[in-house]
Amino acid sequence: MRPVSGLTLLAAGAAILAGTGLVFGLILSPPDAFQGEYVRIMYAHVPSAATAYLAVGTVAVASLLYLWKRRPAYDRVAHSAAEIGVLFTGLALASGMIWGKPVWGTWWTWDARLVTTAMLFLIYIGYLLVRELAEDSERGARMAAVIGIVGALDIPVIHYSVSWFRTLHQPASIVRGDIQIAPPMLMALMINLSAFFILYAFLLVLRVRLARLEDARAAAALGETG
Amino acid sequence: MLPPPIETQGLSRRFGLHHALRDVTLTLPPATVLLLVGPNGAGKTTLLRLLATALRPSRGGGSVFGHDLVREPDAVRRVTALVGAVGGVYASLTGFENLAFAAAMTGAASGRPDILTLLERVGLGPAGGQPVRTYSQGMRRRLVLARAWLLRPRLLLLDDPYGGMDAEGADLVSALVGEIRAAGGAVVLATHEWERGLTLADRILALVDGRQADAADVQGVSTSRLRAPVGGAA
Amino acid sequence: MNGFQRAGAVARKDLLLEWRGRQTVTAMVVFALLVTLLLGFALGGDSVRASAILWIALGLAAMLGAGRPMLAEAEGETLEALLLYPGSREHLYWGKCAALGAMLLLLWAALLPLAGILFNLDLWDRLPALLGVGALGVAGLAALGTLFAALAVHVRGRELLMPLLLLPVSLPVVLAGVRLTEATLTREAPGLWLGLLAAFDVLFLLTAPLLFEVLMEDA
Repeated sequence: MRPVSGLTLLAAGAAILAGTGLVFGLILSPPDAFQGEYVRIMYAHVPSAATAYLAVGTVAVASLLYLWKRRPAYDRVAHSAAEIGVLFTGLALASGMIWGKPVWGTWWTWDARLVTTAMLFLIYIGYLLVRELAEDSERGARMAAVIGIVGALDIPVIHYSVSWFRTLHQPASIVRGDIQIAPPMLMALMINLSAFFILYAFLLVLRVRLARLEDARAAAALGETG
Repeated sequence: MLPPPIETQGLSRRFGLHHALRDVTLTLPPATVLLLVGPNGAGKTTLLRLLATALRPSRGGGSVFGHDLVREPDAVRRVTALVGAVGGVYASLTGFENLAFAAAMTGAASGRPDILTLLERVGLGPAGGQPVRTYSQGMRRRLVLARAWLLRPRLLLLDDPYGGMDAEGADLVSALVGEIRAAGGAVVLATHEWERGLTLADRILALVDGRQADAADVQGVSTSRLRAPVGGAA
Repeated sequence: MNGFQRAGAVARKDLLLEWRGRQTVTAMVVFALLVTLLLGFALGGDSVRASAILWIALGLAAMLGAGRPMLAEAEGETLEALLLYPGSREHLYWGKCAALGAMLLLLWAALLPLAGILFNLDLWDRLPALLGVGALGVAGLAALGTLFAALAVHVRGRELLMPLLLLPVSLPVVLAGVRLTEATLTREAPGLWLGLLAAFDVLFLLTAPLLFEVLMEDA
């Protein structure tokens, strides 16, 4: 029997946890007092958003390491994390809107978290675009690293400015339902959160491996190594 | 012994998939003028830009007066001047303002009289107060040359200095090159009008398709040997 | 070598070039005027909206002009020579940033009386405070504008990318500017906004020069 690779373990872990999460999220946890059944969307929304921010952190750290050490490996991690981050930011936005429609009665609300997440989405779209449009890939990596660092530094400032903009001047139009976290609900959330984090790790490893192969192929096409 | 003005090992640069320069290994002794010849796209400008630290090598490396091109770019910049075809001067500034800006940026202690003398010397005395956009091609060339004079480099990298230059302008090139050589510096002169540069040069390096095609002392070079890789005069 | 002297030379040169051509400031002022008129008309010329409209106009006009001083270097083939002067490239950043800041502050100064007329604001006695608020916002815009301009120089479709990169990260500047201007006009306490805007400025004025050097490693 061949030894089980780390990647397979990650995939299996994510699948098992996601399956358990589904059972907890859809069957074992009760409906919410305020939101009813819609609270179940939160079990996908919150982990998506958390994963998106985890990806932002990965991009920032990997970008910093890349600018410091100049090893292509760090850049591959940053690039991969940014792509996955855009995916999960998109998922967080979409699930937030799907949840908002029945609960808040509107697809979109100028909630601080939603607006911040939308800005995050735009910043990382820019990050990926710069890579595509750069004159050469090494320069593109440096530019992207700069955007990755500026973006991560800016996100907290954006968050505070957006939330103060609505709350400090006028009363918030929507009072968030104070979610009573019943133990089964917390359980469902935690399981899904870990499922998403492991899924993120799985995708990241896979994407980095792909990037490494792409770089190796490009190097082979040039007839040189490294 | 002093480190040589230029020393490179396997200096290479590619842009994407295109190899602009491959495996250039050369050592240039002090007080030498190297004539860099080759057809368009041979990698002459890329080599000059690598030596000026405007580009980083993709592989290989080198040093200028013992300063590594990658690790000590600032030390290289202190002793090097790259004089491009037209670049480096602002069209909306006057000739004088351009030189004053260059002086301020290098911290050179060149006062107003020095700059005016320099403008006189390159034949731009009366035009020094005019914006560069009113200059002819040849006048721009002279201003670019004056900027190089101001920077007082120990390694001068001249990219195609003869284009659009009259005989008097060519004499200015010779004067600048001669001055730097006399001071123990080195000059790399890239041109495809190699017949004009031949009288100045001590050594010659031919590039074809980014590779070293030929290198020799000027004494041993016959015109026919040069014509083979480089082609006729442009 | 004196960094102040070098940064000063770059700033003076940029402002002199701008003074000779006046393209950037003119385009920014006209564009900001257009945005102000358009938003004022579409939203109604209520004086309550004035500060929001003003800062949106300033922000959008800054997106238009922020890349100019840097892109002009690339187009005029002067960028390489500028980068090859010995000495820290941070000095280039400070010079460029100061020149851009001066242009944006001029734009803000031109917008203020305009807003006074269009929205019937009584702002003459509050002019110093309003200019101060403008300067705080302009510092943040110039800090990031100069950094991203250095980035856009080496990208296809330079001008298109600038607003796309700069606008989302500049959001705190615009929001803080709106609230601070409102507070100044209504003589309210600025609250936390002053701190937020100052924090933004300090954060990026400290990090952007370092990142600028990374971007400018080769010409």
